[in-house]
Amino acid sequence: MNTSNPSFPPLKLDALRVAVPDGDQDRILLERVDLEIAAGEIVVLTGASGSGKSTLLAITGLLRRTDTGEVIIAGETTRSLSSRQRSTIRGREIGIIYQSANLLPSLTAREQLEVVFHIAGRSRSEGRRRAVELLEVVGLSHRMDALPQHLSGGERQRVGVARALVASPSVLLADEPTASLDPALSEDITRLIAHEVHQRGLAALLVTHDDAPLEVADRQVHLAGGTLTEIATSRS
Amino acid sequence: MFIALRDLRRSWSRFLLVGLVVVLVALLTTVLGALANGLVSDGISGLRALPFDHMAFEHGSKATFSRSTVTDETLAVYREIPGVQATPLGVSFANAKSDSAKPDLDVALFGVEGDSFLVSDADAGTEGRSDAQAALAGSPGLVLSGELESDGIEVGDRYTFTSSGMTLPIVGFTFAGSYGHASIAYTSLETWQALTYGDDARGRFSAIALQVPGSAQDAVDEAASSTGTEIKSKSETYDGSPGFTAEQSTMTLIRAFLLVISALVVGAFFTVLIVQRTRQIGLLKAMGASSWYVIRDGLAQMVIVVALATIIGSAVGAGLVALMSGGAAPVELVPSTVISGIVLLIVAGVVGSLVPLKRITGIEPAIALGASDT
Repeated sequence: MNTSNPSFPPLKLDALRVAVPDGDQDRILLERVDLEIAAGEIVVLTGASGSGKSTLLAITGLLRRTDTGEVIIAGETTRSLSSRQRSTIRGREIGIIYQSANLLPSLTAREQLEVVFHIAGRSRSEGRRRAVELLEVVGLSHRMDALPQHLSGGERQRVGVARALVASPSVLLADEPTASLDPALSEDITRLIAHEVHQRGLAALLVTHDDAPLEVADRQVHLAGGTLTEIATSRS
Repeated sequence: MFIALRDLRRSWSRFLLVGLVVVLVALLTTVLGALANGLVSDGISGLRALPFDHMAFEHGSKATFSRSTVTDETLAVYREIPGVQATPLGVSFANAKSDSAKPDLDVALFGVEGDSFLVSDADAGTEGRSDAQAALAGSPGLVLSGELESDGIEVGDRYTFTSSGMTLPIVGFTFAGSYGHASIAYTSLETWQALTYGDDARGRFSAIALQVPGSAQDAVDEAASSTGTEIKSKSETYDGSPGFTAEQSTMTLIRAFLLVISALVVGAFFTVLIVQRTRQIGLLKAMGASSWYVIRDGLAQMVIVVALATIIGSAVGAGLVALMSGGAAPVELVPSTVISGIVLLIVAGVVGSLVPLKRITGIEPAIALGASDT
């Protein structure tokens, strides 16, 4: 259920700062990171290995806390929320696509989506209906009862995309979603993500090393030395 | 239990090892339980079957018949208490050889009066003892535990006691059970005194079996202090059976260790499982699951595995006990012991699972991304 208020951007990062102890001093991972993503907008985040992309994604997805600054999801500030409240927002508002699909080994493709509803304590029948609908959207209606080990790499990633969308989030985060795929599949998955983001009016932040996601990006931001810089894209 | 049940159904082989260990522990617990019950029967079934509720021993004898000697004078004091039934009992262990190449006898020799309530029909419990009563009232002889009949011993066989040289015929068989792991042989009190003291019995025997109504309890206590005797309840009397307390303590200790081992095995397995699933748990949390959701799922999984394995192990153990019964090992299957064993093993498994749960609460959802501080 996409509950975002149209008067607020679905995702806003405000002056994030993260430092970790490194010997006697602190090493700064993120410094005054600001970012706002509108509904239906795709922002691609690039940066060298170790530049802090995963940390930024984890903070944006409420998977870890920032030292200072604020992550605002659908107009709701999250910094002072308890872990349980952050879990609830995460389950409701944020969908995450992982690099290696990250599927649960003992669940079928359909159950990978149904479990999201089960975790949220939402209707089981609605979960099943949504799962079937989403798997049809990603072209896996014939593979619903297959376990992850019986799916190809591309099929697994499609299930991962469908799972990220099943709870109708307002924010979609993707951690190098095409890194483990060949170029053809990579383009395929990228197009699928872009289509769903535009179709559903999501705010999407895609971390990537590949070129494919850049082709669908509305904006590209680059992380280096803890700071975020906007780069002009061919689409902008 | 959304994930737990599917995981068990589709990845059952992962739980095979811990299941097998719990099956073996349950099997061992059931067999040891049956052995403990068998030892109890072997040690005190003869006493348990006798219809007394208290026993008067010589003071300081710690319910041990061989340390206790009381006399007719003491018996008379108890018999004077209104409502109290008191009867003398002589207990000793004896060895006798057959005069006709029959198996030797190693018995617990119980000397009772022919008209004693200990061998009366009305209170005999499992079986009537009119045959024993009649045999004990006649000329001197031995009434043996029924199981000795299957060893080929017959009525009319004659046995000579190695300690006294006295020869007695077998005059009957009855249910008598055993005491101190020896079959019981009943004989008349006079015969028992002759075997034990020769011509110098002077009205002595081991203890006085009592039937005490609640209203006479104070009078019995007074009689005990005035006669230098001590009153033991029926269950306290069992403690005097040779080796009884030590056997029961050993069995209880072994079963307690098995419970602890079971809890540790389940706990260790669950710890490994959590470590293996760290990323999965992080993923579930990243999808919005609380720690309690993950804990509930894992705990349910372990309870199902432990309960199934325990039931299977106990069933196999019960089958094994059934095969063993009638053999040399004294085993006896008591349903309440099996059920309490199952319940205790499941509880131990749950307790073992609780130990590593803190690990689950410590797993961060960021681990699903593989995000480190870079």
